[in-house]
Amino acid sequence: MEPLSWGAITLRMLAQFAPVWIALIATFTVSIIYKRKLGLYGKLFDSTIGMIGFGLVMFWVFTAILGGPMDMIVTHDALTQISGLKNKTPGVVVPGAQENGLYSYYLLGGDNLARDVFSRMVKGSWVVIAIAPLATLFAFMVGITLGLPAGYFGGKLDTALSFFANLILAFPVILLFYLLVTPEIVETGIPSYMAAVLFIFPLIFATVLLNSRYHTQPRIRTPLLIGVLVVLGWLYLSTISEVGSKIAILPSFLDGFDVPGGILVVFVSVVFVNSPTVFRIVRSLALDIKTRDYVAAAQTRGEGAWYIMLWEILPNARGPLIVDFCLRIGYTTILLGTLGFFGLGLPPESPDWGSTINEGRKLLSIYLHPALPPALALLSLVLGLNLLADGLREESLRD
Amino acid sequence: MTKSDYDGPILEIDKLSISFFTRLREIPAVMDFSCVVQPGEAMGLVGESGCGKSTVALGVMQDLGVNGRIVGGSIKFKGRDLNAMSQEELRAIRGSEIAMIYQEPMASLNPAMKIGNQLMEVPMIHEGTSAADAYQMALEVVTDVKLPDPERILKSYPHQLSGGQQQRIVIAMALMSKPALLILDEPTTALDVTVEAGIVQLVKDLGKKYGTSMLFISHNLGLVLETCDRICVMYSGEAVETGSIEDVFDKMQHPYTQALFRSIPLPGADKNTHPLVAIPGNFPLPHERPSGCNFGPRCDYFEAGRCDTGHIRMDEIAGDDRHGSRCVKFREIDWDAPITVGEAKEKAEIGKVVLKMDNLKKYYEVAANALFGGGDKKVVKANETLSFEARESETLAIVGESGCGKSTFAKVLMGLETATDGEILLDGNNIEDIPIQDRGTDIVSSIQMVFQNPFDTLNPSMTVGRQIVRALEIFGIGANDAERQQRTLELLDLVKLPREFSERMPRQLSGGQKQRVGIARAFAGGARIVVADEPVSALDVSVQAAVTDLLMEIQREEKTTLLFISHDLSIVRYLADRVMVMYLGHVVELGDTDQVFSPPYHPYTEALLSAVPIADTSVQKQQIVLDGDIPSAMNPPTGCPFQTRCRWKDDVADGLCDIDVPPMRTLADGHQIKCHLPAEVLARMEPVIKMAAE
Repeated sequence: MEPLSWGAITLRMLAQFAPVWIALIATFTVSIIYKRKLGLYGKLFDSTIGMIGFGLVMFWVFTAILGGPMDMIVTHDALTQISGLKNKTPGVVVPGAQENGLYSYYLLGGDNLARDVFSRMVKGSWVVIAIAPLATLFAFMVGITLGLPAGYFGGKLDTALSFFANLILAFPVILLFYLLVTPEIVETGIPSYMAAVLFIFPLIFATVLLNSRYHTQPRIRTPLLIGVLVVLGWLYLSTISEVGSKIAILPSFLDGFDVPGGILVVFVSVVFVNSPTVFRIVRSLALDIKTRDYVAAAQTRGEGAWYIMLWEILPNARGPLIVDFCLRIGYTTILLGTLGFFGLGLPPESPDWGSTINEGRKLLSIYLHPALPPALALLSLVLGLNLLADGLREESLRD
Repeated sequence: MTKSDYDGPILEIDKLSISFFTRLREIPAVMDFSCVVQPGEAMGLVGESGCGKSTVALGVMQDLGVNGRIVGGSIKFKGRDLNAMSQEELRAIRGSEIAMIYQEPMASLNPAMKIGNQLMEVPMIHEGTSAADAYQMALEVVTDVKLPDPERILKSYPHQLSGGQQQRIVIAMALMSKPALLILDEPTTALDVTVEAGIVQLVKDLGKKYGTSMLFISHNLGLVLETCDRICVMYSGEAVETGSIEDVFDKMQHPYTQALFRSIPLPGADKNTHPLVAIPGNFPLPHERPSGCNFGPRCDYFEAGRCDTGHIRMDEIAGDDRHGSRCVKFREIDWDAPITVGEAKEKAEIGKVVLKMDNLKKYYEVAANALFGGGDKKVVKANETLSFEARESETLAIVGESGCGKSTFAKVLMGLETATDGEILLDGNNIEDIPIQDRGTDIVSSIQMVFQNPFDTLNPSMTVGRQIVRALEIFGIGANDAERQQRTLELLDLVKLPREFSERMPRQLSGGQKQRVGIARAFAGGARIVVADEPVSALDVSVQAAVTDLLMEIQREEKTTLLFISHDLSIVRYLADRVMVMYLGHVVELGDTDQVFSPPYHPYTEALLSAVPIADTSVQKQQIVLDGDIPSAMNPPTGCPFQTRCRWKDDVADGLCDIDVPPMRTLADGHQIKCHLPAEVLARMEPVIKMAAE
């Protein structure tokens, strides 16, 4: 058999992505039909930029979900090596494909370990899409929980918190990452302790949110709070406790799942460097909104400070925060790429885009094809997120 | 470009229509608008917010933004059609022949440029004047707008000037190029009354001196009366009546104009015997305008079949000078018919003392260095020896301009701040030291507040019902959600809002409706003392009357003590039982409404009374314009706080005003003033406002 031409490669790739196209078309059709009833999300479909951004983002979201856990788009297993295909160019024929029931081509060639570049790129999207939004969400929890009181109370608390935020922002990020994964440091348990501290913020956030809202009605408040705290507390403890590590609080039969140490470090790093920026945004929004009359009205009817922060100020700061959330997922994606590029955190065979770019880099002057697809994938996702944020910002200002 | 000699009308607007295009629909903002401004004439454009008066001004400037477009008619400036001009031609005219003054002075000045450079730019760009000449011109104009020490002003940055001084600079900038037409869009709305009076006087004088034509946009009929020769009343995108000031004010020929005049408190109105007549209904949204007459659904003279069909045209009124009315029935209406007064309300019995303030003081310490807390501390005396009593069912008005300490006083009363010294007694119990988190629910719920800005008083991300239910939850009212829901609906009934509103979001409500929700929320816990901080000043005139009446009605039913904070003396005279005048943290005068509004006055009260514009041609006012601005509370004058601006200062012997803070003197029963003036001088004072002989 002959290797495929570029035209044939493109066609076959488009065909491989068929489930993604179907999902995208369905999403857009439904959204455009009902756009007048969907609030800000619906308004997005009035802006070309917003639609392009949303399209790019959703392309990778669907690719990640369908290709990752559901194994649909990929042509080969991301880790299997097929001898004879090392560094082969795109469109190469897989020898003996018919007999073994394999796909007949490496659409984007093979990498330096003779694995399929196309499949690794698709699998890599799942790592990014699964980690980046979640890590950003944690960073927002930390930033909001600290930023609101800093802005609302001001004074010494604000001075101290802002000082620490500046301290973290001034620390070189890459050095921080290297430190966090150094075996000596891991042995001391610092990353685990940091995880224990950073991951408790969603717990605090949920507790304060519900308590401030329902404290006048203990009959609703108490069961609700107990239920939420049990579920969140179990998740929290399962996440941070690992048998054999420094923090092993839960006995193993209660430990629901284990987060691999590497992933935990990635989470901790991303949350740690992102939360100071979120803190500063939330703080400045709180400073602005706390001068509004409805905040004064809440104060004069004797509301607690946390109710005012979480129910009067936070919902009205949502516009800028949503936009920043989109942008920040983009930064996090790049950060994940950087971490992968330096081989930090994630296992070496992981198909995530940063790691694959790093592997491809070594032979870049001879073989371009292993490094380019993950790089373009990273570019398009971040571009999509930035365009989406622009579209949201533009549409939220118009009426 | 030379300014051609032209002796026709300066501005001719003919059948102008302007629309804004949103993604959903075309929204007509101005329809079929015509007016003519002759040289040297001042034209007032009056109407409520959303009536299109600012859009007309922007249309004249050809600056409608990306969504706005002129869809019909013509705008001729000195005979040349502005619609047909290119961008270059327009640039040459803007700022040079047509100048515009906006509401927010700080937003009109470049904060990074010195005043002098900003002023000099104008002739340098438009006429290519040399910098030295431009500087001379700037100096001249700054002197003309009566700013002290012009050379220093030219060297300062905008933030170093007060609001009033900034607005004077904006006016100076507009006059730098000697424009033929000056457009003023609510030029004094952001300023205090006494400062406003100064600006208005200035605009009038300058208009005479330079012979500039003016288009004066305002919602305040009184201001237009003082500044303009002609007036055009707008309603919902259309001019409804136009004519000379005298014709429109005294012989109005349109039901909307008449309703507008009946809804503003003029001297002589009284809340019990001669109440204001609010215009029923709401201002129609631009895309929900009725067919036929826009005012039809709210009009007393509405006649189905005539008023709601076809296009209604502006008609000339025979015998008057260019006096027109857009009403099909104006010839049939008896304009002199007396107002049908609803039943006169019984005056509520004033009960026992509920709230007593004794020598209340509130000082703030301001550290020079916020970060490390070091450095010298400055003391701001926000409230100084405040003493008064408020009784059940009584309305006590607290009058003063910004910085007089009325907001601080409200904060201390509410418990958001604690007093530095003195006592606040609620039913005989001291509460001045208890911050709000330590106050019991019954104290918190019995003192509540209604806020000034209707667009800010409700949380935009919560439904109306939810916000009232929350107040009920906090005040511990109702055993469960269903009971609270029921109580919420009753509260909506109380403030005369439809019950469906509990499901609405605040952005779906108009300003007046939001203010009603704010009132409902304040009364959720059965408040006995309500502090109303300028509750109607941000509302349109026709809505003001309705909200004021609502407050009065609730007060009569609930026997509430109302502390009504305001700077608007017309409304204070209308509804207050007693008045307290504050200046720089001091109470300068306290007494019954009649006592405060008639001589002898405190000199500050006298100036305030003179500053308030009154929309009645039969009223004659003494002109008292205060010099300068209110001193900063950080650095108050020695002696009497008002001595820097007082015109009676020379009548006090030995320069006592510079040395001692005057004691509170009792003039008559319950009438106290804080002034050094001897009794015979006080006796000499004449009333500021006189009704002309009929």
